Amino acid sequence: MFRNYLITAWRNIIKNGIFSVINIFGLAVGLMSCILIMLFVRQEIGFDSWLTDSDRLVRMHTSYSMPNRDKFETVRSAGSMMPAIRDYAKNEVETGVRFIQFGITVRKGEDAFAEQATMVDSSFFSLFDLPFVQGSKTSSFNKPMDLIITERLALKYFGRTDVIGETLTICCVSDNTSEVAITGVIKNLPDETHLNTEMIVRLQPLLFSEDDGTLHTWTSLNVYTYFKLKPNVTMEQFQQRIDYWMDNESPLRDMFDNNETVTDFVQQRLMPVPDLHLNAKQHAGNMGDLTPMGDSNMIRTFIVVAGLVLLIACINFMNLSTAKASKRAREVAMRKVLGASRTQVALQFLGEAIAIVILSLMFALVAVEIVLPLYNELLGKTLELRLFSDPALLLSLLLVAILVGLGAGMYPAFYLSKFLPGQILKSTKSVESKSSTKMRSLLVVFQFSISIILVISTLVVYGQTVFSNNINVGYQSDNKLVLNVRPARENLASLKQELLSLPEISSVVYSSEAPTQDDENNNYFKLLETHSDGTANEQVLLNYHNMDFGFFEAYKVTPIAGRLFDENYGSDEINLVPENSSEPGKGSVILNETALKELGFTSAEQAIGKTLAHEVRGKQHLTIVGVIPDIYFRSIKFDVRPTAYTLNPTRLRAASLTFSTDDISSLLNKIELIWKRNVPMQPIELEFLSEMMKAQYNDEVTTAQLFLVFSLLAVVIACLGLYGLSAFTVERRTKEIGIRKVMGASVRDIVSLLIWQFSKPVAIANILAWPIAAYAMLSWLESFPYRLSELWLIPICLGVGLLSLIIAWSTVGGNAAKVARKNPIKALRYE
Amino acid sequence: MLKLHNLSRSYQTDNIETMALDNVNIEIKKGEFVAIMGPSGCGKSTLLNTIGMLDNPSAGDYIFAGENVAGYSEKQLSEIRKKSIGFIFQNFNLIDELTVQENIELALIYHKIPAAERKQRVEKVMDKVGIAHRAKHLPNQLSGGQQQRVAVARAVVGDQPMILADEPTGNLDSAHGQEVMEMLQQLNAEGTTIVMVTHSPAHADYARRTIHLFDGHVVNENVRAA
Repeated sequence: MFRNYLITAWRNIIKNGIFSVINIFGLAVGLMSCILIMLFVRQEIGFDSWLTDSDRLVRMHTSYSMPNRDKFETVRSAGSMMPAIRDYAKNEVETGVRFIQFGITVRKGEDAFAEQATMVDSSFFSLFDLPFVQGSKTSSFNKPMDLIITERLALKYFGRTDVIGETLTICCVSDNTSEVAITGVIKNLPDETHLNTEMIVRLQPLLFSEDDGTLHTWTSLNVYTYFKLKPNVTMEQFQQRIDYWMDNESPLRDMFDNNETVTDFVQQRLMPVPDLHLNAKQHAGNMGDLTPMGDSNMIRTFIVVAGLVLLIACINFMNLSTAKASKRAREVAMRKVLGASRTQVALQFLGEAIAIVILSLMFALVAVEIVLPLYNELLGKTLELRLFSDPALLLSLLLVAILVGLGAGMYPAFYLSKFLPGQILKSTKSVESKSSTKMRSLLVVFQFSISIILVISTLVVYGQTVFSNNINVGYQSDNKLVLNVRPARENLASLKQELLSLPEISSVVYSSEAPTQDDENNNYFKLLETHSDGTANEQVLLNYHNMDFGFFEAYKVTPIAGRLFDENYGSDEINLVPENSSEPGKGSVILNETALKELGFTSAEQAIGKTLAHEVRGKQHLTIVGVIPDIYFRSIKFDVRPTAYTLNPTRLRAASLTFSTDDISSLLNKIELIWKRNVPMQPIELEFLSEMMKAQYNDEVTTAQLFLVFSLLAVVIACLGLYGLSAFTVERRTKEIGIRKVMGASVRDIVSLLIWQFSKPVAIANILAWPIAAYAMLSWLESFPYRLSELWLIPICLGVGLLSLIIAWSTVGGNAAKVARKNPIKALRYE
Repeated sequence: MLKLHNLSRSYQTDNIETMALDNVNIEIKKGEFVAIMGPSGCGKSTLLNTIGMLDNPSAGDYIFAGENVAGYSEKQLSEIRKKSIGFIFQNFNLIDELTVQENIELALIYHKIPAAERKQRVEKVMDKVGIAHRAKHLPNQLSGGQQQRVAVARAVVGDQPMILADEPTGNLDSAHGQEVMEMLQQLNAEGTTIVMVTHSPAHADYARRTIHLFDGHVVNENVRAA
């Protein structure tokens, strides 16, 4: 019996030629998309769950919502919190650890390498039980400044892994170069972790004085805090304990009135470590995490997209199977006459469907192997398909195949097994019913709606990326290089002079941040003069940047009122005074338009000459000398903040170089030579501003590219289905076409008749898809304060509509023309 | 009306050449009613299709209304066919998805006749064949006889001077068969040239002339005295 089924199935696959190819190819592409997305999703949701006792590890995030201030959120916390909470919540917490993350320079011979180091409490390995290659967590981490590195670093610096006792020359943990001995080597961390540490240094408390803002603070948020819960303690229980402590016993209590609840303003929120990669974004505010954060929305979107692509392939299968049903009606009838029950017939067809899906799965797996390198490049990942060493994957794929087989085969099986043998064997008429034709049209509409929604979404995501890249940021960003001059503090003057001596470089300006370098320097400013209408002056929170003379000139920013900073006035530079001085320091300030409004001015001219009081390391009274238009220092994903620009030569960290040359590489070499001369033994960090600006939208670009690939696949599969269906329809309508031809229809009449038949569902699909896509994309765009105009949706929808019709026409046209040219007489005589 | 001169039609299948028509010479005059008879496979249908310009001869001449159409392209043939020839088939060949009225109208649509005139002509011809009360029905709601009447209506609605009928009574019972034959006779009386393939000697008797085919040759011609 089974053999008979197998033979029938195989011969049907062969006999149906083009239809089988469409089915198998479509399903293979659908399954391939699914597997690719699944590999990505699996890695994303598998972050950190491999850690020992990962279900007991949590991280503590901080959020401040103070009155009159923007909400401030970060995944970091204050240095004093961890020990205090660990000791208070003894019943809930086993231990805790703090990470202090910093960049260091490792010197080896004449070379200097930038590395990330993590300084951690001694408890680190009790929470993160990372496997040692050399040494062990008990023997290697006993005293401050013990240094554990990864195998990769050991190989990088020593070419071997047994490096215990070797020393690394490290710069600037404190201010001096020091030799640090390696006490242990751990295995490389897998990709699936939010930890990015390759050098783990045991905390040296002597490095942090009592008034330091890293370890001994309740409000400066500079460390990452993790706890390990006791077994059987839930995160919620621990959270309640922390909240109670915050409200009643923590030192923060003193910052608020007695009737105020601390947790209304400051919250310490916990998140399980395995959730961090995908969900930390919710708590991260504008600041990042240790490693780039995943995006649970994107994951969800791609799961949906994978499902839809597969669904489209399944619909092809359903449509072609039921369309072909009449061809197999006689077989069904004969089987029934010979004693088969309806269930047996249905099972036969289901089995056939599953067999075809499994065949498709094999092709899909080959395809995945082929495209995986490209896919990895696109995502910046190193995903692998380890089919045989990964039984879970193999099993889940088989499960998917069976589910898809059932999904795609159910309707045809039900439909085909319904045939009554008496009717079929007697009549020469087609057994095709009206309802199955309708069902097919409906499914085609569904397929095309999905494809159209995907394509419109792709175009909008792309459009927004293009828009973001081309938005007028308010300053001249072409031909700019940004150099990190943090390590060059003493040599800024000579560095600038030498750089300017290069003929390619027309200006070198210093600032605390270059454009795209976000900071969270916010401070309260108060206008001293009263407004003309007598409104009282509130303290206003402004973001502030520092710069040297010439910054705005170099970026071609012109003031809308007043002037830019000018050396000739001699009064612009902030004159810093000691913190206890009674006399305020003087200086000038330039505001952007948003700050102007925030301070209550109605015109830019009004502000000129007024005074802003401000307190950072001593009191300052700053004269407003100019107002500039809003410029996008940050990604346009965020609003422009009210900003004050001041002139403070002690806080300069970035140099902006304006250049003009065709020989970029020689320019870069020259700059590097100058750097090495002025700042020896420090790696150079030089970037094109245009690249930095583009990098702000990397996530969106990747999303757009993935979207593009998968929506194109969806379109291809849907078109294949339409092609198959049109081939079938043409076959079915041969007689009718013959009649029409005998009646005098021309080839053109026939082709347009058939094309219209297939344009209808595609047109309906458009009308259904447009509002859905528009709604979805408008809500997506809402997350961008500066976004593509909504009106763009109209040409995008119309364009996609036209394109879908053209695609449908060219898909169907070939089949239609072929049949229209056929001699009608054959169709009419022999049915 | 038309003249076939040394006309042959052969089919090539798997290296075997089959002569469906072999050196056929026939002349049909305007206003004639001709029946073609012969056993299965003798070439009747090929002959009818060739006359109907649905098939091209392999050799010989086909003079239709003074023009030799033997070498004409598909498009040219289609133009002549549309103007001059109406068809009736054994299996009716109505379009299942169209109503009676729409099926009949189809012929006129391809003649590019304006809608108002089409409606008028369709109604007239439906009255003539007695199918007007079924105008909105689909073919599968009609009996065989009714379907063939629709097919006849469709064949004549274009006012073509010649009708080709391929076993028009083959799928009908004798009563309905007779009905159709009487309709054809009536049309012939009104001046339409009719060429009909049939198996039934009784129905062949409606024709003035009967041509007997055997293995692609014309073997006999009977002319019935008027």
